[in-house]
Amino acid sequence: MASQGTRAPRSGETVVLLGTKRGLFMLRSHDRVEWECVPAGLESTHVYNATLDQRGGRQRIFAADNGDFFGTFLRYSDDFGQTWQEPERGIQFPEESGLSLNNIWTIEPGRRSEPDVVYVGVDPASLWVSEDAGVTWSLNAGLAQHPTREQWNPGAGGLCLHTIVPDYAHPERMWVGISAVGCLRTDDNGQSWQFMNKNTRAGFMPDPYPEFGQCLHRMTQSPTQPNVLYQQNHCGVYKSEDGGENWIDIQRDLPSEFGFPIALDPGHPDTVFVIVEEPMGRFNVGENFTVYRTQDGGESWQPLTNGLPHGPGVRLGVLRHGMATDSHESCGVYVGANTGQLFASTDAGENWRVIADYLPPIYSVSVAVIE
Amino acid sequence: MSAPSTSEPTALVHLPAELRARTREQASIAVAGADVRAIIVALDRTFPGLRFNLCAETGELRPFVNIFVDGRNIRLASALDTPVAAGSVIHIIHSVAGG
Repeated sequence: MASQGTRAPRSGETVVLLGTKRGLFMLRSHDRVEWECVPAGLESTHVYNATLDQRGGRQRIFAADNGDFFGTFLRYSDDFGQTWQEPERGIQFPEESGLSLNNIWTIEPGRRSEPDVVYVGVDPASLWVSEDAGVTWSLNAGLAQHPTREQWNPGAGGLCLHTIVPDYAHPERMWVGISAVGCLRTDDNGQSWQFMNKNTRAGFMPDPYPEFGQCLHRMTQSPTQPNVLYQQNHCGVYKSEDGGENWIDIQRDLPSEFGFPIALDPGHPDTVFVIVEEPMGRFNVGENFTVYRTQDGGESWQPLTNGLPHGPGVRLGVLRHGMATDSHESCGVYVGANTGQLFASTDAGENWRVIADYLPPIYSVSVAVIE
Repeated sequence: MSAPSTSEPTALVHLPAELRARTREQASIAVAGADVRAIIVALDRTFPGLRFNLCAETGELRPFVNIFVDGRNIRLASALDTPVAAGSVIHIIHSVAGG
């Protein structure tokens, strides 16, 4: 499958991958001021997620190709989207499982210490693992056979495993997020999984604090304090300081409990960004499209609007994978809207501008600095 | 294009544009098989992965994939067990969705 890509990005350039309703796009810049946006293939499909894996000497883009008619495929490209390959043994459930793949939701490269390991989360909720950089894939049986699985219910997007957090400090530990099941953690390399939903609310359930059934939307880990996690939930924003054992409500004065993405500044990990929305319409609260930031680990929130659109007709939504941060000292924040704009800040959210427009609705944003 | 050497009936299968990357740009191919299920298995041998384009892991035809044998939708016949006769013409198309 060929695409109309141009030159490969150079070392030091910042690359943003956008998964959209109609294909994958790549932006690149040497200074984060001038951006070039090019299609990167898969133009007729729903790309829910894409990521650039630079471990092990590779520069491999993985993308979730969720087609309209003829199936769902993980694909990868070693030439920045000019050609795409399928795994030799792809993500397909065993026939006897009675399950069939609906959508691929997230692709997560493993730890630096395991450069050939890649994880994928899909609907129906399951975790897939490759130990050969994406060439062959295996289903994680511990989660697929979880004793409560028959009681899991889907969210509006399906029963999707959309978030994978491999613990960089403990190689046998990982968290996953499933809608609408919540957070699960393994401490034995995926053999068994425990719920980690204490104190997170499921306001839509008869029991608002169940063991599972929460609608976790997105979760991220502090790069310096491995037991610190943040999550944007259907019902609030939460922080854990003990690896998910307990969650602390940090919603405070945010104008809505509902939102999808959450991201942090890797150089200043007490700085976290969220975008909360009207829960019914799923667009900005009020007339100002706003990113909210805490710089003290959730003690307080500031609305960031400088350069973001406002007015009575402004109704932008951002999906769970629609915000990402880069690794520059002055943190770049990238927000892709379901109206086809990519907003960027190079000063941790103080100022924003549009760096790509007229794109299909944006499903996912990921960022890398080319090594 | 030449018909395979087999005692099974051979049908002419027309493939949609969306699958041409899989079928090395071939728009139609002669395939031997006694029923649609066998035709799909034979297609997958020629174009590995094509079965997964057409059928879910459970073996069922994907919901937005339609297969017509001599003009008749197999969902109105015997689904994947619909028999194929020598000289049958099979069309694989997707649903007209969204409009």
